[in-house]
Amino acid sequence: MNLWEVYVNSLADLPQDVELTLSIRTLNEGKYKYTYSRVAAKVSPDLDRYPDRLQVRFGRGQLSDKKFSIEILGEKQIVPEKYAWGEADIEFLARSM
Amino acid sequence: MKGHKDNREFIAALEKTGDAVRIRQEVDWDMEAGAIVRRVCETKAPAPVMEKIKDYPGFRFMGAPLASYRRLAVSLGMDPRTRLPQIAEEYLKRTNSAPIAPVLVKKKDAPVKQNILLGDDADLCKLPAPLVHEGDGGRYIGTWHAVITKDPETESVNWGMYRQMMFDSKTMSGAVFPFSDLGKIFYEKYAPRGVAMPFATVIGPPPLAAVAACAPSPIPEPELTGMLMGEPIELVKCETCDLEVPAHAEIVIEGVILPDVRVEEGPFGEYTGYRTSPRENRITFYVKAITYRNDPIMTISNMGVPTDEGQLLRSFSLGLELDKLLRSQGIPITGVYMPPDSTHHVMIVGVKPRYSGIAQQIGQLAFGSKLGPWFHMVIVVDDTIDIYNWNEVFHALCTRCHPANDIHIHKNSVGTALNPYASAHERRYSMGSKVVFDCLWPPDWDPVNEVPTLVSFRTVYPKEIQEKVLANWSAYGFPAET
Repeated sequence: MNLWEVYVNSLADLPQDVELTLSIRTLNEGKYKYTYSRVAAKVSPDLDRYPDRLQVRFGRGQLSDKKFSIEILGEKQIVPEKYAWGEADIEFLARSM
Repeated sequence: MKGHKDNREFIAALEKTGDAVRIRQEVDWDMEAGAIVRRVCETKAPAPVMEKIKDYPGFRFMGAPLASYRRLAVSLGMDPRTRLPQIAEEYLKRTNSAPIAPVLVKKKDAPVKQNILLGDDADLCKLPAPLVHEGDGGRYIGTWHAVITKDPETESVNWGMYRQMMFDSKTMSGAVFPFSDLGKIFYEKYAPRGVAMPFATVIGPPPLAAVAACAPSPIPEPELTGMLMGEPIELVKCETCDLEVPAHAEIVIEGVILPDVRVEEGPFGEYTGYRTSPRENRITFYVKAITYRNDPIMTISNMGVPTDEGQLLRSFSLGLELDKLLRSQGIPITGVYMPPDSTHHVMIVGVKPRYSGIAQQIGQLAFGSKLGPWFHMVIVVDDTIDIYNWNEVFHALCTRCHPANDIHIHKNSVGTALNPYASAHERRYSMGSKVVFDCLWPPDWDPVNEVPTLVSFRTVYPKEIQEKVLANWSAYGFPAET
């Protein structure tokens, strides 16, 4: 089971069993702890309904005592492909050597 | 006096003066390092140098590098016991001297090129970005650093401290206000054209380069660093863009600021001592390269209640830049001091009150300048008050400032999203209000019959009586004064 965390203004931002777009961060230990993914997901206050756990913080970092289960339906790309490392970068590098 | 070319020389100097402590046991980047630095700031302890970081062998942390005037004095090559007015005098002397241009060195001579990660290998999670405070919106990789950018038209370079949160292994988000130097260039010259803006984040810059990046000076930061150091700073070209970075920096992250992508940033413990600014979609930095020295030292500033180096150095440089501005306008000031404990919100200006309206004139110049968004209170006192002595300033404020006549409020000014007193609407649109406390005696009062006489040891006794009392102080039975 993976543990995730999300920031919301209110618990009303997390309606159950509805597909939501969320930025969630992993709380799994290791170098990637606290990194975000933007995902399509469903959540539920029933902790047994979905495979992973989600804990919630509010806008100034306060931890909510309410926990949720979460199912990640898919990951959304944040940065368009046109900005990825490519030929222009390699050419610049070659010129500056 | 020469500045230190890197943090390694600076740490060695701080160790000699007892202003740094090496921590050899393993420290967790996940809150433990932040908690150490926070306690250092709150107890005014020496700067911690953490030699062993969990999950990141070979990396080191330096916390609170300039969170005391002692460490600031050492960074300037001065005795750590130097008093603040003398440090300020030295800063003004150096920054009023001729600019010292940087020199460019070859990559093979630049320690920051000892390790180079490009493209997919440039993964932010390879760096021990700390979770500084529990509840922060992310791991903040840039807390004591410089973000380097260039104006595409004028080619003028900007080094500034803009906090940067690791969003994922390739992107960071940052708080960049539209009135800041970087904000003006990005929002006016890149974003509207849909063009990505190259940046280089320098983590662990030479200590006086950090001071320059923090200072609201009109002098370009590479030259300002040279003036502070007393010699040119060595720069080296970036791997992926036409920018130059300090060759003796610890870590450099290169990439582009995306014109059409925003990701969430914050909340974060801020210099005001609160988490104030809302979590928002903010400017997004996409990473293309990371270069770093062997055994790199990541610098950490932990903002919160006083005193951290953001508060101390911004107060120091904001005060002295206002000093320069007011003198340049011919205002007969005796000095300007911004107490760090005000979390750089209060300016104290000493002045010879030669004409009426002078306090308002000072307030208008201060708030109307580029420095203005960062503070909202100006206290103007006369030249009988020691601006560095809060007891004297507070006494003047409480006794000379007429509640109806001498408090001047300026509404609808520029503020910052970080002002704790501001409403959510004001924060979102960087709106603020300002106030001048005029603690000068009214100029039309008769100095003999209307201005009250200050009753203190040094003002109401003849000099010979003062000297006699001081000479006999111990003999009277009082403990010796230090």
